[in-house]
Amino acid sequence: MTVKPQQGKTRGNTVKTRGKKSRIGVFICHCGGEIARVIDVNAMEKYAKTLPNVTYAVSMNYPCSRQGQDDIVDAIRKNKLNRVVVAGCSPRLYEPLFQRCVSQTGLSPWLFEMANIREFASWCHSDNSKEATIKAMDTLRMAVAKANMLEPLQPITLPVTKSAMIIGGGIAGISAALDLADMGYKVYVVEKSESIGGKMAQLDKTFPTLDCSICIEGPKMVDVGRHPNIEIISFADVLNVEGHVGNFNVRVRKNPRYVIAKNCTGCGECRDACPIEYPNPADMNMGVRKAISVPFDQAVPLVYTIDKDYCIECYKCMDACGARQAINFDQKPEEIEINVGAIILSIGYDMYNPEDMEEYGYGKYVNVLTGLELERLLLAAGPTGGKVIRASDGQKPHSVAFIQCVGSRDIGRHEYCSGFCCMFTLKHAVMLKEKYKDQVDVSVLNTDIRSGFKGYEEFYNRAQKVGVHFVRVKLKNRRVIENPETKNLTVYAETEEGKPVRVEAEMVVLANASIPTSTTKELAKMLNIPLGKDGFFAECQPKIRPTDTEMPGVFLAGACQGLKDIPYSVAQGSGAAAQAATILSQKAWIVEPLVASVDKDTCSGCRVCESVCGYRAISVENVNGKDIAKVSEGLCRSCGICASACPIGAISMPAYTDKQIVCQVEAVLKTGAKQ
Amino acid sequence: MIERILHAKRYSLVVDKSLCVGCEICKTVCPREAIKVTKVDKKLEEKTQKSKIDIDLEKCHYCGICNSMCPFGAIKVYVDDKNVLSVVEKKSFPELIRQIKVNSSKCDSVCSEYEKLCPLNLIKVTFHTPNGEAIKNVSATEKENEKSEAEINIKQESCPCCRLCDLKGPSDAILVQPIFYGALKINEDKCPEGCHDCLDVCPITGTLYLSEDAKKVKVNELFCVYCGACRNVCPVEGALDLQRVSIRHTSIKSGAWNKALEKLASTEGIAKELRAKSAVRAKDAVVRRFEGRKSE
Repeated sequence: MTVKPQQGKTRGNTVKTRGKKSRIGVFICHCGGEIARVIDVNAMEKYAKTLPNVTYAVSMNYPCSRQGQDDIVDAIRKNKLNRVVVAGCSPRLYEPLFQRCVSQTGLSPWLFEMANIREFASWCHSDNSKEATIKAMDTLRMAVAKANMLEPLQPITLPVTKSAMIIGGGIAGISAALDLADMGYKVYVVEKSESIGGKMAQLDKTFPTLDCSICIEGPKMVDVGRHPNIEIISFADVLNVEGHVGNFNVRVRKNPRYVIAKNCTGCGECRDACPIEYPNPADMNMGVRKAISVPFDQAVPLVYTIDKDYCIECYKCMDACGARQAINFDQKPEEIEINVGAIILSIGYDMYNPEDMEEYGYGKYVNVLTGLELERLLLAAGPTGGKVIRASDGQKPHSVAFIQCVGSRDIGRHEYCSGFCCMFTLKHAVMLKEKYKDQVDVSVLNTDIRSGFKGYEEFYNRAQKVGVHFVRVKLKNRRVIENPETKNLTVYAETEEGKPVRVEAEMVVLANASIPTSTTKELAKMLNIPLGKDGFFAECQPKIRPTDTEMPGVFLAGACQGLKDIPYSVAQGSGAAAQAATILSQKAWIVEPLVASVDKDTCSGCRVCESVCGYRAISVENVNGKDIAKVSEGLCRSCGICASACPIGAISMPAYTDKQIVCQVEAVLKTGAKQ
Repeated sequence: MIERILHAKRYSLVVDKSLCVGCEICKTVCPREAIKVTKVDKKLEEKTQKSKIDIDLEKCHYCGICNSMCPFGAIKVYVDDKNVLSVVEKKSFPELIRQIKVNSSKCDSVCSEYEKLCPLNLIKVTFHTPNGEAIKNVSATEKENEKSEAEINIKQESCPCCRLCDLKGPSDAILVQPIFYGALKINEDKCPEGCHDCLDVCPITGTLYLSEDAKKVKVNELFCVYCGACRNVCPVEGALDLQRVSIRHTSIKSGAWNKALEKLASTEGIAKELRAKSAVRAKDAVVRRFEGRKSE
């Protein structure tokens, strides 16, 4: 809830209260019937006029509309109002709008008060109009009482560092980084693994167009690598984040690659000399990579990495590298500090390991794969060169069964729908059918096919047309049994009506759930942002602020906010970039003047406030030999916990001072509203 | 046997229990510490069993170093069913050199004794007529038949080069150089009386033997292969002292080998080897310069 008073008009002008005596204007909203249907707004209007210091009261249909706003401005000017109360909906969404409206007249936006008669009265007491109206009046009376006590406040400005950090270099992060860099801001992309690219770099094709995934992501990755405004810090971990919007201080550890990035030309001669192979996680451990290698050929930055876990230190790579001298076995982790004005989190997701769901036999039967594993088999540059084969005998399967919703839509495991599994299964089914034609029989055991969004339903039709069998089964009682001799599999399931379904297949592919990535919790703690029930980062407001977090200056992009596919991740990346630019483009960032204020003379430095603050905004500092609590203006979220916890009342909250709250309590207790 | 089946490749590691003597060489050289050698509990009234080796499925990454170093050829690593070791191919790790010279022409009818001499049953002697017909039944009369020819076959990959055949053999048909050089000493003060665990597990007959009063174990280093199977089962620490000094192996320049050598032999062992290598390099450099000057 950050209010930026219109610049120029209000600057230096905000303390204006127009005389000492309060002249309060009350505007009662009908909310198109949402309020007026239950509350007697005419009675409200009359009642308002009886309240002390109310010079003007009117009820209107939509004060939040353009017309309503103009009417309020006119009323303020005509009646020389110096306090404004709107009785309407939740201040959480609309207070900033009305504050801007009030400040248009030159009045301080902090001389505005809102009474919520929609959520508190009309919505929750819609069956009792009379009582609801009384409650609305009580609420209004409190607001007017407070309005009498309001004081103009001076907004706080914070300096802005004109650079941003993107944590996670998947497609969402890439999109955000390129947009911000093109706007002229310095961008740091911090990536945990050796290369940017994320999950999309592991895919063969993208639905519904069957475009080659790396062919469309690769150029973007290269752009990120080459952009003069972007610095990629790969193979690195974020250790700590301090500071606040406009000025974050991030400590990053660059893990040792044992290869000097600036000397490495990416020629790969060291890889050829290396004798050691280990399963490549980028290939879902189905193929191998060398102890000195890159996870995939298109890696950005193209710098080789030695995995010391596997390296036997024969130093053959050093011989191969020769005069380039890029290999340094003594490299140590390096910690750096980076100052940025905004942070975008785009750390993506992980795939759920279905090994603990024994009924599917994953990990036990070699011919049971996950979707991403099949993806690697389909990829021409994958471990098998694009041949779909069974691990048990190296032969092409003649029948493949897909099982949907493994681990997702499963109360007790992951209740949510993972969103894109239906579509990637359709993609795999179509690819198998189009590649092997009648030589392969493809069945999809699903509960629903979720093919929302552009072009997806058409793709479902295409899958049906190429001859993929769709079998609708219950989520429960599904199991896979292997024939120990042939290693073929039988899938048992039940239809909605309870009829048994039995599908024989030579390969079973599980659409396993996608889950928050392992570092989600750690980063949430570091940045002090909440997680949703599903374990993904919680956005500030699900509908109209989907890229914001509770922490100003920290934005979300891609699947770490909630599972989404590529186009939506790209769009959200751009959205988050635009959000970050609203901060970076400011000369100074203006914060609501609602920051807790400490009375230095009274404060005893007992640290109670420091321990209760949920935003790490208070620290006790020694000033001239005395311990005094200090509030960070950038971190304080005006929750008021410190003020109520302070045992000696040394902390007060502007606009919510004890005096203002007490007068509201008095107002609601003293005079019962009468109709 | 352990396996790793990937879609792209299959790895397997096979330990031939009949060949494994429970020594410690594979464990010592394994870069991942994936091999564990465990002493088998001794049962009353029974001979001590050789130690067992266990390979950690998670840790092993099938590099083949144990394969290249096993003097008994008991470990085999296969990649896609081929016993090709990439550490050896890429010259990251040496192979043991088994210098065994067999000259069957020096062999006469008594050569069949070689078969009995080999403690590991690796020698096979066959006789055939000059026409190449195999003589199956080597009876006394045929042995005297001067026309019969003997052929000696040694399963070299499993031979630890104890030289029993060379030194005790009936003829000069087999000449063997040891792989490992070193010293094996029994500390008589610490060696418990009546214990002969080391003797029970020693793969080479005659290396360890009981003293005349059958109380103490004695060493005859002539045949010792310095494998360390005895040290693994010795119940008293310090009673048995084994040190390797040098190893006959293919020439290699590799940090991994230096590390392994330090563990197998000693720092002096590496120092010696590095000195030898630098001497060769210096010699090469001199030759190159000399030849360069000649051509000018």
